[in-house]
Amino acid sequence: MSRDTVDVAETDTSVERRVRARRAGRGALFVVMLGVAVVMLYPFWVMIVDSLKSENQFLAGHGFSWSSWRTLSSTIPVLQEVISSTIICAVSILLILAVGLPAGFAFAKLKFRASGVIFLGIVSAMMVPLQAILMPEFVNITRLGLTGGYTGAVLVYAALGTPFSVFLFATYFRGVPDELIEAGIVDGLGYVGALWRLIVPIAIPAIATVTVLQFIQIWDDLLVGLLFIQNTSERPITVGLAVLAAGRTTSIPALMAGSLLSALPAMIVYLVFQRYLVKGLTMGIDR
Amino acid sequence: MAEITFEGVTKVFAGNVTAVDHLDLHVADGEFMVLVGPSGCGKTTALRMLAGLEEISSGTLSIGGRVVNHVLPKDRDVAMVFQNYALYPHMSVAQNMGFALKIRGESKDEITRKVAEAASILRLSEYLDRRPKALSGGQRQRVAMGRAIVRSPRAFLMDEPLSNLDAQLRVEMRVEIARIQRLLGVATLYVTHDQIEAMTMGDRVAVMRGGKLQQVAPPQELYDRPANEFVAGFMGSPPMNLLRVRTAPAEGRLALAVGAQRLELPRAYEASHELPTDADCELVLGVRPEDIEVVDEAGSGPTLRTRVERREALGAEILVHLALVEAGAPSSVAYDEDVAITRPSVLVARMAPQARVGVGDVLNVRLNEERLHFFDALSGVSLARGTA
Ligand SMILES: Nc1ncnc2c1ncn2[C@@H]1O[C@H](COP(=O)(O)OP(=O)(O)OP(=O)(O)O)[C@@H](O)[C@H]1O
Ligand SMILES: [Mg+2]
Repeated sequence: MSRDTVDVAETDTSVERRVRARRAGRGALFVVMLGVAVVMLYPFWVMIVDSLKSENQFLAGHGFSWSSWRTLSSTIPVLQEVISSTIICAVSILLILAVGLPAGFAFAKLKFRASGVIFLGIVSAMMVPLQAILMPEFVNITRLGLTGGYTGAVLVYAALGTPFSVFLFATYFRGVPDELIEAGIVDGLGYVGALWRLIVPIAIPAIATVTVLQFIQIWDDLLVGLLFIQNTSERPITVGLAVLAAGRTTSIPALMAGSLLSALPAMIVYLVFQRYLVKGLTMGIDR
Repeated sequence: MAEITFEGVTKVFAGNVTAVDHLDLHVADGEFMVLVGPSGCGKTTALRMLAGLEEISSGTLSIGGRVVNHVLPKDRDVAMVFQNYALYPHMSVAQNMGFALKIRGESKDEITRKVAEAASILRLSEYLDRRPKALSGGQRQRVAMGRAIVRSPRAFLMDEPLSNLDAQLRVEMRVEIARIQRLLGVATLYVTHDQIEAMTMGDRVAVMRGGKLQQVAPPQELYDRPANEFVAGFMGSPPMNLLRVRTAPAEGRLALAVGAQRLELPRAYEASHELPTDADCELVLGVRPEDIEVVDEAGSGPTLRTRVERREALGAEILVHLALVEAGAPSSVAYDEDVAITRPSVLVARMAPQARVGVGDVLNVRLNEERLHFFDALSGVSLARGTA
């Protein structure tokens, strides 16, 4: 055998080895991801299965019944609470977007005095935790007489979410070339037109990101709803569940049903907007 | 369609940067005007003022006889092609092209028809449903053109639209853009710093430097009769040779001292140029590389003795770098960065590739006596009579 052939054989095996190593790596990754998925999904599975049992069936470990859902809806006004949560989320997020998008655009594209310092101030507001300002905020909102219905809570959520949204939009718009907006202006857009027909559509990935993150945060929040919404008819689902757990019922299947109900919307919102989130990372503005 | 007039238009940026200084320029209806100049000379700024993207510090700017100093960009009805194309990333090619029409409120059918028409002119018909990111550079460039032409605007403004393309595509698009502009007959202001584009595309070329307009003329005239040293050195590749010389009239004959050598000039230059009549006045002699030829010892006309310093073969031609022979050689000025002109100590001659010249050869070269240029040594202004 000549030397050449030996060399070829060697390369062959090394290539093969590399391919095999990569395949093994992928396999290992798959197993790990599968493990993670199981850990994440198992609670959901438990919630679904256990919520579909009566209390006795739950203790027995098998059976099927809608009775826990009936218990849930008769103990607390579930539907109304879900609607409340939805309204609070929607209005807060609209406010956060309505302030964050134009402000972010201004910080990214317009030159005005002290914009750097103001931006820094807004961004550092992101670092302030909810708990730190909760009491002063409560005093403020009470003085304004807004602790009854949605308004107070919505204002607090909007105030807490806006700095992040300004920051995210500013960062996003910095990546959008000026010429793109200028092209729109030369094409005949006025200021309002440029906002609605160009800037907002371009910012959809950023809008989706803010919406998902804020929705999850606001929907899952208990503290603000508990403190600022004193009308029982307007309280959100998280508060309702807390009340439920605090003694209205001891039925575990009913609690499971409630938990499932409150966890579901955030998942749905994520799944709906996820497409845009991923796109946001890959879209890029073409040069 | 309309004419464009800059009258004393000036732009001073914050921090006292005068980007455009009293620009007077008239682009006739349907004319293709090319704006050239070195980087930072204010070309883009001039264009942006015309588009309304930049405020005018002073002067008047009019489109179609109407002063537009304070008219909003959207009401100027001009279309602009940006250097990086600035295509809307979230819209398809068809939507990109039809956007301005949609803003204007034209009907869907009308938009579809116009877009299809423009797409066929630009050979984009099969890409109408694609997003910009799924297009090649040349295709994106054409979409940017399409966005401008569907509007049938009063003027086209183009800022180095070909600079992001590779050399071959640039040649193709150069022809294409010129063709489309003639087809549509819309007044066009085209910015470039590629002088081949300037020479080949424009009806007229405006040369700028440091915010100031140097000369406006048809390309050939710009080449044949540059108004000053800057234009002479800027147009043409390799640029015109510029030599610092002194007048040395003798026995009633016109002559120059080029270093230690004497260069006899035809009398005709006295009539056509305002040459100093005294002896020992400094001036700049300009001669194009193609106006230098090798002659025998006994040649007549203005000849110089030179030595070959370097030889660059370019295929179709060779460039021969010639240094004047004899001690004390020419008093030449070093490369002036600010002015971006070379006043070389050597002459560059363009010759046929068959020319048998080798480095170190001593040659007699004759300057084409009908095509010499003279410039004032201080101001750089052409001494030719009757040029602006
Ligand atoms: N927004 C601005 N603020 C301050 N100075 C500016 C601004 N825009 C441009 N300038 C200055 O104005 C001058 C002209 O700039 P301009 O962009 O018009 O040059 P240009 O001829 O287009 O150059 P290039 O060929 O490199 O594109 C430059 O000195 C530039 O630094
Ligand atoms: Mg420029």
